[in-house]
Amino acid sequence: MSLVLSLRLPLARFTLEVETRLSGASVAVLGRSGSGKTSLLEVLAGLRRGARGRVQVGGRVLLDSAAGVDVPPEARRMGYVPQDALLFPHLTAGQNVRFGERKGRPSRAEEAISLLELTPLLHRYPPTLSGGEKQRVALARALATDPALLLLDEPLAALDVALKERVLPYLLRVRDEAKVPMLYVTHQLGEARVLAHEALLLDEGRVRAVGLASEVLGTTARGLLASEGEGEENILEGTLERPEGGGLRLRVAEGLALWVPDALELSVGMRAAYAVPSEDVLLSMGPLSGVSARNVLMGTVAKVEPAASGEDAATVDVAGVSWVVRLTAASVRELGVVPGARVYLAVKTAACRRLR
Amino acid sequence: MEGTAGLVFFTVTVAAVATLLILPPGVAVAYALARWDGPGKGLVETVLALPMVLPPTAVGLVLLELLARNGPLGRVLDAWGVEVVFTPKAVVLASAVMAFPLLVRSARSGFEEVDPRLVAVARTLGDTRARAFFRVTLPLAWRGVLVGALLAFSRALGEFGATVLVAGNIPGRTQTLSLAIFHRTQLGEDAEALRLAGVATLLAFVAVYATEVVTRRRGRRGRA
Repeated sequence: MSLVLSLRLPLARFTLEVETRLSGASVAVLGRSGSGKTSLLEVLAGLRRGARGRVQVGGRVLLDSAAGVDVPPEARRMGYVPQDALLFPHLTAGQNVRFGERKGRPSRAEEAISLLELTPLLHRYPPTLSGGEKQRVALARALATDPALLLLDEPLAALDVALKERVLPYLLRVRDEAKVPMLYVTHQLGEARVLAHEALLLDEGRVRAVGLASEVLGTTARGLLASEGEGEENILEGTLERPEGGGLRLRVAEGLALWVPDALELSVGMRAAYAVPSEDVLLSMGPLSGVSARNVLMGTVAKVEPAASGEDAATVDVAGVSWVVRLTAASVRELGVVPGARVYLAVKTAACRRLR
Repeated sequence: MEGTAGLVFFTVTVAAVATLLILPPGVAVAYALARWDGPGKGLVETVLALPMVLPPTAVGLVLLELLARNGPLGRVLDAWGVEVVFTPKAVVLASAVMAFPLLVRSARSGFEEVDPRLVAVARTLGDTRARAFFRVTLPLAWRGVLVGALLAFSRALGEFGATVLVAGNIPGRTQTLSLAIFHRTQLGEDAEALRLAGVATLLAFVAVYATEVVTRRRGRRGRA
């Protein structure tokens, strides 16, 4: 799959200008709200008039304004998944999935239904589906047409954190099992890290960085998206306490307290919230002793899911509170991190960042 | 009594034919108004709404002038051997013209409720513009179209002013219920006129009640 973009599209505040060649199976398009991400997707889908230049997907020319080529959306084979799913409200989930089926053309509806586990939902109408279910149906509907490229417009943005975690594995399945190339628009660095091989960073319609996700999603992306916030953190809420012997501790639940950095303005009995990045949590299969980290928590592995390339995310239950821990796939194998396993988490006090 | 049955049959048939006749152009105009937002849209809307506010007799007079044997349209039709004025065709035409704005108004609001992005999605799934219209837009707007058709039919049932000018009031030929009521009062047959008015009320009740039922369902669905 190759994606050649060379286009200009005048927008209200600026002109979207993209000049790049991508080869990955999975591309994240990142940028703040209003940076031109969605417009780019619409140009690719053929839904936006007025774009000049050239768009080539897998060797097929979809737009070449100089040669007068502008393939209509119905002939582009782009699997478009809008942010709010946009299911057809007068059709059942099953009819939605099969909407693009045509006689004499390959359909991947059956595969999409089983991949996204939609069988129990097929007879239901969109208003009765949850946000996550709607997104899965929209994804299957696009996938069923056997698209050359999936265009995902912030498919997780409308979902809350818990639902996000439930839909994300399905996106990974689509990428890895259905093997459909995807272009994924997001303003969440975490999602991009998990899903993308390549990344394109947009700022005010211009390409700020483009290349391998591992390179692009570093400091530039972090700086550009800083104001938008990022989701890959463990958020802990509780009441502050000062045990005898000094120090400040966050009481999250019965049986779960966390040493946090002390500060003068904090007093006992205050409600507070802290964030701990998932990559700053250390996981051990045996009891930890002699480690510098002050917080050692005992918990049980609830699930292990693929996260970024080569990395897994383990969800660990500690006294009823879920923790997400980032591990390399290799350590998951070597340590034997499986659901039900008893594990120990170590968290440095300094890794706890106060939110409020 | 047999005369009344014939009168009712003729009135209902004329209203139904007029409604069916304006349905395709009415839906097309309604859709265009809902989606198109070019210059002069206000002007087009005003012209289309005119039959609703003009005195029906004025509309009838215009139609008569157009369709009379020496009128601009009448001359063409005459050449083809088609006669409209003072025939049942004129009754249908007068009703159709008077009912058209009602159909367009309601159908248009039905189309306006359909998110154009749904159509965009349908197109990425392989539908041409026309196919997407019949698979997405129309099924989502059909209630508005149906309400419009019922309103148009109700309006056509009671049409008087335009009809009497362009079709006359010929018993057994162009006379509808509303024309017959007028005719009876002119003859001083008030009891008969009142009986016909009762029949007309019944017809109107059924038509308007059907409209209400459909409208209410639309409201319920909107909340879902």
